[in-house]
Amino acid sequence: MIENAIARWGTLVLAILLLAGCAEQTAPPAQVGPARRLYVANESSGTISMIDAAALRVVGTVELGTPGTHDLALTRDGKTLYATGLATGMLSVIDTAQGKILTTIFTGRRCHSVALTNDERHIWVVNIGENNVSIVDTKSHRILGTIPVGREPGHIRFNKDGQFAYVTLQEEGAVEVIEVATHRSVTKIPVGQRPHYLLPSPDGRYMWGGATGENFVYVIDTTGNRVVGRMQVGSTPQHLAFAFRGMIGPLAYAAAEKENAVVVVNANPQDLRIIERIAVGQAPSGVTADRTGTRLFVSNQLENTVSVIDTGTGRVIGSIPVGIKPIGMVASF
Amino acid sequence: MGCSTKAALLLVTAALLIFAAPAARAQVPKVGTAKNAIGVLLITRQDGTSVRLQGKGNQDLFEGDELKTGPGAQALIEFMDGTRVAINEQTTFLVRSRQDPTTGVTRILRLLIGELWIKTSAGPKPLEVETPVASAAIRGTEFNMKVLPNGQSLLTVVEGLVEFGTPFGTCPIRAGTQSVGERGKRCTRPAPTDVQPAIAWIQEVLK
Repeated sequence: MIENAIARWGTLVLAILLLAGCAEQTAPPAQVGPARRLYVANESSGTISMIDAAALRVVGTVELGTPGTHDLALTRDGKTLYATGLATGMLSVIDTAQGKILTTIFTGRRCHSVALTNDERHIWVVNIGENNVSIVDTKSHRILGTIPVGREPGHIRFNKDGQFAYVTLQEEGAVEVIEVATHRSVTKIPVGQRPHYLLPSPDGRYMWGGATGENFVYVIDTTGNRVVGRMQVGSTPQHLAFAFRGMIGPLAYAAAEKENAVVVVNANPQDLRIIERIAVGQAPSGVTADRTGTRLFVSNQLENTVSVIDTGTGRVIGSIPVGIKPIGMVASF
Repeated sequence: MGCSTKAALLLVTAALLIFAAPAARAQVPKVGTAKNAIGVLLITRQDGTSVRLQGKGNQDLFEGDELKTGPGAQALIEFMDGTRVAINEQTTFLVRSRQDPTTGVTRILRLLIGELWIKTSAGPKPLEVETPVASAAIRGTEFNMKVLPNGQSLLTVVEGLVEFGTPFGTCPIRAGTQSVGERGKRCTRPAPTDVQPAIAWIQEVLK
């Protein structure tokens, strides 16, 4: 045992000495600050890639220690990043300037997706394995309570005025609406098989989502909490985002996983139609846009890359290698 | 010797280290001991295996364990920092923790249903009890928490101060008072109470 330890330490010292001469030839670590950053959850690596969105390259990696990193949320000031761990049930809280984990919080089995409340006092975390939502205080990191929801919850989003939370129920084929002020379930809206991701429209009136068990995206009018449109986009629609093509828009960009494409849909529910299809990498899943709606980022699960799309031209202008099986993404700009 | 050669040498060295090293088992930290059970205390580990304690004993407790008592059963456990927890019948809770950069390690008991009495040993010991509707944070005290099947949580403070919080606000609950946590509401104003009846149930299991 002692001989083994001596041998290992001796080898390590030798290795360090051998490489000492190379130190001056390696590039200094890049400054990893919160400005213009894209964060990518690499599920199978258990890491988060931090990307300089101007240079389109990875400038840092946060190691979470276990595979399963799935969904991300970022505070408005870009300083704190939250990441769910499907395998561990842990929510990680990350200081983006240092690229360091501040704390991890056990929320529940298969913790899957997150959304910050509009005032950022709480973060709501969906736990697939518990059929509930945990409410975490963002200052103290305490779990202050839970809300039971329907079966196999997927993603969660607040509407723009923050009064209601929308949670997809994958097993039930519905979206559940929770009133934030009372934590009461208001209604369940049937939407289609295996609803997964959802996102409020830019004007806040609608909630868009993809039915991954079918081949369409659906549109919920939140004033009456009913589906007002469906658009066939291709097999297994995953995440989506809103952006503009020059003067035209807003447009909805939906990742069609089995099509290896992002499908662009006119975001007017009274005039739903496909504008174009943009070929990306293999098995696209995550889609996120910058605040101006001019840059779109798509995570390709089976290629371990992020495609960068200039929405003005509808062209892929770059591909960034990241970790294994990239899924959720969030942009700071 | 060029850098690429040095790098290759390092890779070979690393490979030797990795493949020569004995396989390491994943370690789960021990956090305390189950000391006494009237009836059966069922302890289920994170990997799904379980152990039982009946009568006095010393059953190790680990991070992530689920502890459960049935009808008529009670138990007593002690954490490594000296905090004692009595568990009433038909109670289920998880043993967890959280590491904060400023406050260090906080012990967390996720009480799903049932009743716990908790007394910390001398000195500040960060501990929280999470229920389905609220969270109680203490810094060295004695209190009782009861959770009903609908999640409603009744906190009785025997000694010290407990910060009792729901997503709608946090209330400081002092010794000799009670507060109720309910889903969708702030905790109730602390009401003076005779605490002894609330904790009378612990007498047998503490013997």
